[in-house]
Amino acid sequence: MSVTRIEVKDLVVRYGDQVAVNGVSFTVDRGEHLTLLGPSGCGKTTTLRAIAGLEQPSGGRISIDGQTMYDSTERRSVQTEQRGVSMVFQSYAIWPHMSVFDNVAYGLRVRKQSQADIKTNVERALDLVQMRHLADRGASKLSGGQQQRVALARAIAFSPTVVLFDEPLSNLDAKLRAEMRVELRELQRRLGITAVYVTHDQEEALAISDRVIVMNVGVIEQIGTPEEIYNRPRSRFVADFVGSANLIKGKWTGDDLFLAEGGVTLKVVASHKPHGKETEVAVRTAYIELEPRAGDNQVPGKVRQRLFHGDFVQYVIDSAVGPLIVRRPPINLLEEGAPVTVSFSPEHCVLLEG
Amino acid sequence: MSDGPKAFGVAGVLRPRINWQVLTTLAVLLIVGFLVVLPMVFLVEESLNVGDPMAFPPVEFGIANYISIFSEDIRTVWNTLVIAVMATVMAILIGFTLAWILTRTNVPGREKLERLMELPYYMTPLVGALAWAVIAGPKSGFINQIWKSIGGTNDIADIYTHFGIAWVMALFEGTVAFVMISASMKSMDPALEESARVMGASKFRTMLTVTLPLVMPGVMGASLFVFAEMLGSFAAALVLGIPGRIYVITTAIWDSTLAYPPDYGRASAMGLSLFIVMFVMLTLYRRMIRRGTFTTISGKAFRPRPMDMGRMAWVLFSVCALYVALAVVFPIAALLMTSLQRFATVILSQAQWTFANYELALSLGPVRTALFNSVMLGLSVATVGVVIMALLVWIIYRSQLRGRGAIEYLVMFPQAVPRLVFGLALLWAWLNIGLGLYGTLWLLGLAYFTVMLPLGVRTLAGVVLQIDKSLEECARVCGASWAYQMRTVTLPLLKPGILAAWLLIFMACVRELGASAFLMGPHSKVIAPSIVNAFATSGTELTAAMALIQTFTVILALVILFRVARGMTKELQ
Repeated sequence: MSVTRIEVKDLVVRYGDQVAVNGVSFTVDRGEHLTLLGPSGCGKTTTLRAIAGLEQPSGGRISIDGQTMYDSTERRSVQTEQRGVSMVFQSYAIWPHMSVFDNVAYGLRVRKQSQADIKTNVERALDLVQMRHLADRGASKLSGGQQQRVALARAIAFSPTVVLFDEPLSNLDAKLRAEMRVELRELQRRLGITAVYVTHDQEEALAISDRVIVMNVGVIEQIGTPEEIYNRPRSRFVADFVGSANLIKGKWTGDDLFLAEGGVTLKVVASHKPHGKETEVAVRTAYIELEPRAGDNQVPGKVRQRLFHGDFVQYVIDSAVGPLIVRRPPINLLEEGAPVTVSFSPEHCVLLEG
Repeated sequence: MSDGPKAFGVAGVLRPRINWQVLTTLAVLLIVGFLVVLPMVFLVEESLNVGDPMAFPPVEFGIANYISIFSEDIRTVWNTLVIAVMATVMAILIGFTLAWILTRTNVPGREKLERLMELPYYMTPLVGALAWAVIAGPKSGFINQIWKSIGGTNDIADIYTHFGIAWVMALFEGTVAFVMISASMKSMDPALEESARVMGASKFRTMLTVTLPLVMPGVMGASLFVFAEMLGSFAAALVLGIPGRIYVITTAIWDSTLAYPPDYGRASAMGLSLFIVMFVMLTLYRRMIRRGTFTTISGKAFRPRPMDMGRMAWVLFSVCALYVALAVVFPIAALLMTSLQRFATVILSQAQWTFANYELALSLGPVRTALFNSVMLGLSVATVGVVIMALLVWIIYRSQLRGRGAIEYLVMFPQAVPRLVFGLALLWAWLNIGLGLYGTLWLLGLAYFTVMLPLGVRTLAGVVLQIDKSLEECARVCGASWAYQMRTVTLPLLKPGILAAWLLIFMACVRELGASAFLMGPHSKVIAPSIVNAFATSGTELTAAMALIQTFTVILALVILFRVARGMTKELQ
């Protein structure tokens, strides 16, 4: 059997005159955690819902485990309940008129499992999310975090191989979200689930994914591992949306040379060839040193502002290539007004397509 | 979109698209259109009839009926305007005062008081008008009896006047104004006022420069709505206007169909004119509340931060209590006293107590039949209606059917037509269509269903829209078929809403007067018009007993509603 679990090809989804998803193609491998990342309205949730069969595409093809679920040319579309996928909803969608147990048992009852099997499987699923002690509680009496866990248990209880996650953590507070991230990742690995995960939180996407797809206005901006997305952003949009980066305008002068505005020449890495000469380079705020280092691009500058954030210090440096934002560990603090030499490796100076 | 119409077969093969989507839409549009629009078309035709008033269909056409509104009937138009303006001003004053007290101050027992404010709505204007006729009628009215017993010579109260009619209308429409104005007060962010205070404005200045301008649009909207309702109201003018020969448009319409030969042309022209005026006003109102800049309605309710009124709080409490007393307690007490006496008197030493009126009311064949018919109609219209309305709500708010906007518009249309005018239109339509439906309970049932459409659909829609779509979608993802999802998720969640809608429709049917007045036949009597007839032909004592019997039927239904609703919420938890 091939390693490909889900294949989406040239997917188009329209709402009336608006095109929500405009020709999106990707594959998800067995046991992989793939994240669709993008701002609201970028088409990520629509893509996910199209995979589940909750959204009716107007073009393209979707197949799961080699079976065609939707194909616009064959005029074929399989009903949601027959696709065999599972899903965790942003609102959790916990049924308030059932107990925790009944919520989790729903998929098993639909599949006509025996009473004994249902009990075993529900308990196993509730154990995985540490909610077994609340099995008999009415679902409307749960806190947000507990509802989240029940939604997760319900989604995995009937042992689906594909689970779709629609911003499952976005309604939790920051601390709980960080905790659940760790648990989700562990659970997904342990059960060998193939996961398609939608989020607008770039930190979350980088932390828990095997691969990330960055989307914007209905199309894919970049596909890659979290490291690739972070270190080698392809476009201005990706550099700006994922992590924090300084964008320096200028002219690509061929190979690995870039003439920045202000007349400074930078050595860059051109992993994606720009469309034209006029373009930008991205430099991550975390990769900039404030003292000269051999072999690096070096630009003189002066500290304009210092903001102490606790985990890091953010400086705004007035430099020859314009104002640069630099994040450093909170040690050896520099005073505002102090002269510095900004220094960053060509490796971290990424030419953008423009 | 999962629960949109299924253009796919079970096998998952996409079939051509035309098919039943279009057919369903057309069928629903046709049926609802037949019920809602066709009667109005007949009404238009008849309003232009200037020939033989008994001709079906009319042969001579002209606009003489419309012209006479401004000549012969100008007095009626004037009465209508005077009464509607007086009643609107009073109702808005009542509504604003109550809304301000109950949302902006720390009046004691605020939550209980707020719930009491619903009571006048359940009382109905008809019962209220009868009660106030007993309380403040000339000569034998209770107020005048008391006044004379302490030495007064002339009557000091006369409810059979313009002001009297407006007073009763205002008492019962006041609670509608209250609900609307308090909604706009509740949706105002208190931070808007607080920031004015922080900037250095006094309480009074804040009230003047921030609170009032923000609430004003809400008050204007409520005024418009209430005024439109007043123009179309019937019961109070019927009970209190006829004895003093004060006709408003609604009672004039009714009166001209009772004359011999009945002047349906004149009635239709007046009815249509009234409908158009109300329709324009309600459209304006809807425009106003929809416009974004309007008021501060952000869709979310803010935590109220009531002002501390100190000792004044008890004064405000008595204002609320006085309203409840005038609208509910005194009227019910007056009716009770009247119904339990041989000759109604408030001077207790002269009272002759008896149950004879109740015995008589319940032993009279026509009254018993009317009550029985009303209850049966209520039961069946509510039961059948709720099923059909739930289907309509699902089509309008959950499906992807093209044309669902048009269906929604049609379904909500009866709301803009005064009941009485709609009754007239239906009468005329079924006189023309024939089929032997006229004068039967079937026609009444059909009419009730049609005029209850907005009420039922709005109630059910409120519940459907509250149910997050993902609750249904999740069931599908878990592998449930549409039918299984309906049975295990959708219907259980809808249950409380369906019950509420059922009881509201039931109550509204048992109390229905406007449409019934025209559609009731000798073999299809219902209770509300029978009460009016009893008031006109027999004594107040018997009428009071009948009104109370009707009221208690409604109260019984209410008690059941709250019992069941409480059981429901328990079940949900």
